[in-house]
Amino acid sequence: MITVALLILLLPLLSFAIQIFFRKFIESKNGEWISIGIQLTTLGLAFYLFAVMIGHYDPHFRIEENVTWFNLGNFSLEMGILIDNISVIMLLVVALISSLVHIYSTEYMKGDIRFSRYYGFLGIFTFSMNGIVLANNFFMIYVFWELVGLSSYLLIGHWWEKNSAADASKKAFITNRVGDIGMFMGLMIIMTVLGTLNYQGVYTGIASGEWEGGIGTLFGGANPHTLLTWAGILLFMGAVGKSAQFPLHIWLPDAMEGPTPVSALIHAATMVAAGVYLTVRIFPILTPDAMATVAFIGGVTAFYAATIAITQNDIKKVLAYSTVSQLGYMIMALGTGAYVAGFFHLITHAMFKAGLFLASGSVIHAMHHALHDIKDHDTDAQDMRNMGGLKSKMPYTYLIFIVASLSISGIPFFSGFLSKDAILAGSWAYASTAHEGWLASMHMAWILPFFGFGAAVITAFYMFRLIFMTFFGESKRPDIFEKMHESPKAMTVPLMILAALSLFFFYTIPSINPFSTHGWFSHVIENPGTVVNFGSTFNLEHFEHANHEAHMPAMILSLIVATLGIGFATLVYLLKKVSAESLASKLGVLYKGSFNKWYMDEFYINGIIRPFLKGCDAVALFDMEYYDHYLINGAGRNTKKVSSGVGVADDLIVDGAVNFSGYIFQWLGWSLKFIQTGRIQNYLIFALIGVVAVFLLNAF
Amino acid sequence: MNLSQIVQDLGFLTPEILLTGLILLAIIYDLFLTKETSIRTGYLAIAGMAIVLFSLFAQNVEASQGLFNQMVAYDGYARYFKIIITLATILVMWMSFQNDELKNRTIGEYYQLMLVLVFGMFFLVSATNMLSIYLSLEIVSIMSYLLAGYLKENLRSNESAIKYVVFGGVSSGIMLYGISLIYGLTGSLNIYEIQASLAANAAISPALLMLAFVLVFVGFGYKIAAVPFHFWTPDVYEGAPATITAFLSVAPKAAGFAVLLRFLNTTLTLSGDPNNIALESLSNLDWPTLLAGVSAITMTVGNVVALQQTNIKRMLAYSSIAHAGYMLMGVVVMHHNGVSAILYYAGIYTLMNLGAFFVAIYIKNAFNTETISDYTGLGYKAPMIGIAMAVFMFSLTGLPPTGGFVAKFYLFRGLVGVGDTFIWLAIVGLINGVVSLYYYLRVLYFMYFKEMNFPDVYHRAPLQFNILIVIIIIPLLFGWMIGDPLSTWTASATSFFVP
Amino acid sequence: MLEHYGTALALGIVGFLLMYAAFIIQKLVGPKNSTDVKLDTYECGEEPEGETWIQFNVRFYVIALIFIIFDIEVVFLFPWAVVFKDLGFLTFIEVFVFISILVVGLAYVWKKGDLQWVKMKLKYGTGRYSASNLLEKENLKEAA
Repeated sequence: MITVALLILLLPLLSFAIQIFFRKFIESKNGEWISIGIQLTTLGLAFYLFAVMIGHYDPHFRIEENVTWFNLGNFSLEMGILIDNISVIMLLVVALISSLVHIYSTEYMKGDIRFSRYYGFLGIFTFSMNGIVLANNFFMIYVFWELVGLSSYLLIGHWWEKNSAADASKKAFITNRVGDIGMFMGLMIIMTVLGTLNYQGVYTGIASGEWEGGIGTLFGGANPHTLLTWAGILLFMGAVGKSAQFPLHIWLPDAMEGPTPVSALIHAATMVAAGVYLTVRIFPILTPDAMATVAFIGGVTAFYAATIAITQNDIKKVLAYSTVSQLGYMIMALGTGAYVAGFFHLITHAMFKAGLFLASGSVIHAMHHALHDIKDHDTDAQDMRNMGGLKSKMPYTYLIFIVASLSISGIPFFSGFLSKDAILAGSWAYASTAHEGWLASMHMAWILPFFGFGAAVITAFYMFRLIFMTFFGESKRPDIFEKMHESPKAMTVPLMILAALSLFFFYTIPSINPFSTHGWFSHVIENPGTVVNFGSTFNLEHFEHANHEAHMPAMILSLIVATLGIGFATLVYLLKKVSAESLASKLGVLYKGSFNKWYMDEFYINGIIRPFLKGCDAVALFDMEYYDHYLINGAGRNTKKVSSGVGVADDLIVDGAVNFSGYIFQWLGWSLKFIQTGRIQNYLIFALIGVVAVFLLNAF
Repeated sequence: MNLSQIVQDLGFLTPEILLTGLILLAIIYDLFLTKETSIRTGYLAIAGMAIVLFSLFAQNVEASQGLFNQMVAYDGYARYFKIIITLATILVMWMSFQNDELKNRTIGEYYQLMLVLVFGMFFLVSATNMLSIYLSLEIVSIMSYLLAGYLKENLRSNESAIKYVVFGGVSSGIMLYGISLIYGLTGSLNIYEIQASLAANAAISPALLMLAFVLVFVGFGYKIAAVPFHFWTPDVYEGAPATITAFLSVAPKAAGFAVLLRFLNTTLTLSGDPNNIALESLSNLDWPTLLAGVSAITMTVGNVVALQQTNIKRMLAYSSIAHAGYMLMGVVVMHHNGVSAILYYAGIYTLMNLGAFFVAIYIKNAFNTETISDYTGLGYKAPMIGIAMAVFMFSLTGLPPTGGFVAKFYLFRGLVGVGDTFIWLAIVGLINGVVSLYYYLRVLYFMYFKEMNFPDVYHRAPLQFNILIVIIIIPLLFGWMIGDPLSTWTASATSFFVP
Repeated sequence: MLEHYGTALALGIVGFLLMYAAFIIQKLVGPKNSTDVKLDTYECGEEPEGETWIQFNVRFYVIALIFIIFDIEVVFLFPWAVVFKDLGFLTFIEVFVFISILVVGLAYVWKKGDLQWVKMKLKYGTGRYSASNLLEKENLKEAA
């Protein structure tokens, strides 16, 4: 099993090496199929692991293997592989989507100038993502975390000749670093207090009370709660960065500058899910306060990003904000304690969102070709205002869009309905069980279900807005429309697979009930509860009970809101009963805010970056004008005077000694060289003299 | 000793038997080959050595044995050195395919002789009787003479072989005299019996004992090229085919250390059990001090003369003398740490010295020069070669993050760890490290800093060579990293056979 | 232990003295009337020819080596044959292996042409002394 896992981990790296080192061969001989072959092998192995996991059908199935990486006195770091239900499912998802994207890209990236490099980077990304999933400790996850960041950087900047792409890659990398710093601090806190970073070691360490007393009580008086809360929140900061949560979400929409298959793989299905995955792994050690923080960040993100998605015109931007919003859902679910729901949504979302992105890629691909045919190089191929009526031209793409959109909107019979409903029920249950502290006092906790349902309405609305603008109505640009045609099979077949996986029964087998999550998934994934046994108010049993009660009302409500959203979109964009423009002008400030992403980028630039740079300037000025001029250079001038005096002495005595010893050695070597005369007679004489000398010296 | 005992003991000699079969097969196979196809003997030899290596790994050495009336020992210590020797042989044979000196000639005998040399070394590292020590030493020596003179039409090669024969003959003659003295003193050739007799008989005159020991040490000292028995080294190393030079500088040297260490730690100690953590020398024979002196002189002479060399092969020859001096530091420690440090050093030294020689050979082939100052700008012209050379030079100097550093570190740790008797030797060793820095880094100076210009067309080494170099570099750079597997292995390989 | 060497030493001295005693006595008592023939080197009755320091063909050594190897074979085989009956089949295999190894050696020298005093073909048939090379040299000379 461990061998299989290691193969899954390392094969993509092999693919990377091949693609990078044999570029000429790859590009002349269709070498991308080597990578695809490797990826399909990985997929096969992942299926094998999955089959083994299902064979066990045990929520506590786990295989772990550790090796010591290095030892420095008392401090040792370990590396290891952990195979449990969560990682197996994640592996399968990563391998599946990665394989599909590999195949899809053969057409989408055809003729690209850095074709083999693109496949190579896909390989290294898959490697790092598998590393995150297979890690059994927080340090290793951190290592692969950074590798994922790197490969994301490389892939976003794939077309680095475009300034926007280069900027976007930098923005993504730097924004992620902000989150990672927090994560690293969290790691160090845990390492310092518990002395281990292994998941199980950390859980049992906290559960057995190692946190209480000693360093663990730092900053909190006698209360060990404070530092643990901070550790949790800091670790979660990594997830905030990687999963594009408010306020570090700004990089994800810009990351759409990368090739669309990359957006599907990395910025919709897998890498951004890594943040959620990390939160899943730290879930047991989160204190109630930390969980509330997580829940609120998730809730705010879900709602906030959804509001932006409404007004975007770029087809990929809509999907990008939709992704941010859905990730917010997952995070909120974990924060509210709906562990299973959060992870479930991660899986279902990966499928339908990858499908949506790849389908949008199909549209963009067709648009590009059409624009190329009519020699129009100014029109934006991604702008939905240039599309319309594509239903007839691209029937498969259209169908897939419909299926995936129904899923994301939470319509029964689709996977999205099940997971989303579970999340909403979870937030409801969380609000209804919040009995103490600030959460209960102002009914603050009810904000979460409000955000959840609000975002659900908006999601349904903007998804169908996108569909109606793209596929229905009259085309605004008949010249382009003429040239449009369906994408080739290499692109549509992966799409169909993903669309099929948006159906509910893949996740509920063996029971087939479109309204219940009950099935293999809910059997093998089990809420681990919390290991924080001091000052904790989170009670798994209470929560499960409330969750059960909230299930029915939440389902009904979510059905209503989804219908509402779709209905409203139909009114505005399909039937045109309400004019979008007049609506926008009526809403005025709100519309403008949404359209400009609530000025978040501007806030960062004017509120943080510019003042910071100004501060830098001021410090630099002080540094140059005063500190350098008087203190450093002044000291330097005086030192120079002294040192010139010392220098003379140095030249004569110290250097002289060094050079002298150098000369001695050189001379010694030079003179010894003459012993080596080349005459064997002399050698023997010398050797015998040596023997006699050695003997005499030692014997007497 | 009866017949069934012999047959039973043969079972412990699987690698040696395989090797014998391989030698015969190589000789027979070569009879059917022409001059052009004789290289196939080399392929056969490599494949066979791979099988021998496998059979070595398959050996279970947990229970050590004395074979054939304790003529040879079967233990983890011997197996470790056999593995190193086999690995070195495979690498050198592989490199021999690419050595231009050996092109266009009947080459079958070259590989056959190498195999016999390996056979000799296998027995040398496990010999536990003065007779078997002498016999295997002679097999190794005679094959070395033949290989050193393999380039028949090359006068230097002839000259080196003749010098080697004369020097080797005199040394082994002196050693035989020493052995006969020891036999006279103790009445036995078995090293365990010699030890028992010497330990029980403290009345033997120290001067006589010292004389016997010094005379025996001549034979070992000649094999490991310790001063003052090193004189043959530079001439032979320069004249012999370059791959053989590389081989002679690692494998027989490692084997020589193996037998020397076994002999000293078994025969000339009070307990006679080298498995003890700490040992004590015989009360009437203070050989550690003698060897400490030899060690200091050896490393100093080696390093100091290497400073003056302009030819890379000669420089490496002298530096290999210096490395023998370093390894002797581990011998005088008389502690478990010293033994495992020597084992570690032997492994790392084999890799790094072979690597340096291989790069030098390649440069000779491709750029037709052996003079260090001609390496100017090579680091830019041939990046792969330059980087490889840099790694080997750093490692030979003993700078981190290479295996050479770790190996040296263990040696010094062993030396300092046993108290302050040999602190002076550690200081001499450190000074010598600084001296060696100069001439090793001089190579890199010429390669990188003498002239800095990037050529339009890079020189590309053939893939076969690159793979070989990478195989050598990887353990050097990473062998000590994750859990330091080599160190765990060497610590476990310090198990000697004791009756 | 060491005193045993004394016996050996005494034996050596006595032997040395006895040998020289013979020479000295012969010198003292023998008649001295030498002729040319008497002073000549004895070479099995033949008349000596040429210098004492002549170069032997290196093949003599090869032949001598081969001879010694098979001589030693007999040295090993003889004692084996004497006790073969008591030792049984196992030793037969051992000796068989031993002889096979020597046979490989025989095959080697045979193939390399060292068993024939006059080698059938020139060993370096393609080198300096090859027919084509010699012919070329002739042609060059003629051209000059």
